[in-house]
Amino acid sequence: MSTPVASIAKLLTQPTSGERARQRINGGMRVIVGVSAFLAILPLIALILFVILKAAPYLVPTFFFNNPLDKEPGVLNAIVGSLQLSGLTVLISGPIGIAGGVYLSEFASPRVVATGETVIDVMLGVPSIVAGVFAYLILVPVLGFSGWAAVAALSILTLPIMMRSTQEVLRLVPQAIREASLALGVPVWKTALFVSVRTALPGILTGVILAFSRALGETAPLLMTARGTNAENWLDFSTTMNAMPIVIYQYSNAAGDLLIGQAWATALILMVIALTINVLVRGRTVNSRTA
Amino acid sequence: MAGMELRRAGGMSADTLFRRITGTGVLILFVVLTGLVVAFVGYSNPLWTIQSPIDFLTSSTWSTGTIDESGQIVDALYGASGALFGTVATSLIAVLFAAPIGILAAIFLVEFAPPRLAAPLTFIVELIAAIPSVVFGLWAAGDLSNRLRDTIEWWIASSFGRFLPFLSEDPESPAADSVFRAGFLLAIMILPMVVAVSREFIRSVPISLREGYIGMGATKWEVIRDVILPTARIGLIGGVLLALGRAIGETIAVTMVIGNAEGVPSSLFQPGQTVASKIASNIGEASGEIAIGAMAALGLSLFLLTTVISLVVRVLVRRFAVTGGRA
Repeated sequence: MSTPVASIAKLLTQPTSGERARQRINGGMRVIVGVSAFLAILPLIALILFVILKAAPYLVPTFFFNNPLDKEPGVLNAIVGSLQLSGLTVLISGPIGIAGGVYLSEFASPRVVATGETVIDVMLGVPSIVAGVFAYLILVPVLGFSGWAAVAALSILTLPIMMRSTQEVLRLVPQAIREASLALGVPVWKTALFVSVRTALPGILTGVILAFSRALGETAPLLMTARGTNAENWLDFSTTMNAMPIVIYQYSNAAGDLLIGQAWATALILMVIALTINVLVRGRTVNSRTA
Repeated sequence: MAGMELRRAGGMSADTLFRRITGTGVLILFVVLTGLVVAFVGYSNPLWTIQSPIDFLTSSTWSTGTIDESGQIVDALYGASGALFGTVATSLIAVLFAAPIGILAAIFLVEFAPPRLAAPLTFIVELIAAIPSVVFGLWAAGDLSNRLRDTIEWWIASSFGRFLPFLSEDPESPAADSVFRAGFLLAIMILPMVVAVSREFIRSVPISLREGYIGMGATKWEVIRDVILPTARIGLIGGVLLALGRAIGETIAVTMVIGNAEGVPSSLFQPGQTVASKIASNIGEASGEIAIGAMAALGLSLFLLTTVISLVVRVLVRRFAVTGGRA
């Protein structure tokens, strides 16, 4: 039965050829963006699998507890060195960066904020090798190749990170609770410290941990400052120090499968530490945001 | 805003003290930046007594010269055009691959992926950024580089190499390292940054704009093409520029795969060097204020390049915040 109404309805519901083409393009683009997302995560999977594969045979218990020149070689001194260098770096750049972030968020005039943010942007863009060369030119002639020079170079890189993250999380603290505190007669400095900073503390600490992780992975600035050593160095920042990135870089150029294998093993240790820190910190931030 | 009110309420000496202490943090950052500029300008100065900045930028000869009978260094010439070429080539290759894939992946994450998939995918992409660059370098030198040589590089060289001089390669004996492979590795390393920034800006396009266009019968892709991409354009450009800055400064991973060869390579599939890799591999041997000056000049050019990019991004993103997108 074909009434005029039915044929009109048919015309309206059936897609025209132009409509079909648009739908086809839409479907095609859906596939293309999906493939792009897959391509974006493919390198991570490939890298992790390959590093594990190469590192596994060399990751024996002694590798964690011995030093390079021991009979059963290990990278204890590099692990210890990396933790010390990154630790001291956040101990120095942390307080300075947090202080600066507090000032920009709580006290600075709009003009100082604009200038400060521009300087932070510029400093965030400074390549790590530039910080390394700076320490090499200024500090190494005075202090020699040393942990101090390395910490200085790393601090230049982590300082703007700390300041930016502190300022950003303080910005999320509601203005009303600052005003409530001030209205109760609490001095400005106590309000800033025990209300604003206290509220934003988890976020500030996240920034500190991410800065630590960033310092842990830096290589180029360490090569021209801490330089690496085979000796174990506990807390003597005035002389050369070993670090995991230095070991990876130097051993990767070395002759012989043993050293190259150790480079892979050290890379796996470094990668696991860096990824664990990031998973823990970011996982926590995501949870607290949804809660 | 916040600061003004707090300041008016202040005035006590403890408050002033606290403000000074925190202000010192900002001051230190200013001092460090000033120190960087002064040090690089100062240390590079001796170089300009024997050659002009033009020679530095245009010559491809890097020679520490010889010492004549009187103990003077003669015939020293520090030309960085080979390194500058490598820096520009590797970072452009990186952006060429990372920009389209990163932006499309961000579109997938925001517009297509169901929330259950989008959250873990975003997380995984962010993890790539947490991997130290020396690990990327080790992986590339041990595995990725050879795969690229036998696939993409071989395909480009055999398709276009015959008529495009910069893309030629001898298929029988490809070089052990190449500029192209370093650039491709950089693409992987900057990808998370492109995805993260693009995702933020795509997300900030107001939902009402999308709904209006969908109400007119547009397909999902048409919404993306006609509404989201044009609205987020400035932010996307900013994100790509930021990633470009990262690629320009990346050192150790590039040093491990580019081959560290002097001069301007005859093809992208030949070994080369970048400004950063040149500093890393040469600074240990540099002695005397002129050779050190050449290193400082390389550092200064890196610093200037990345600073210009940071400032341009800042201006772009500011304009984005003013003109819309973020509603």
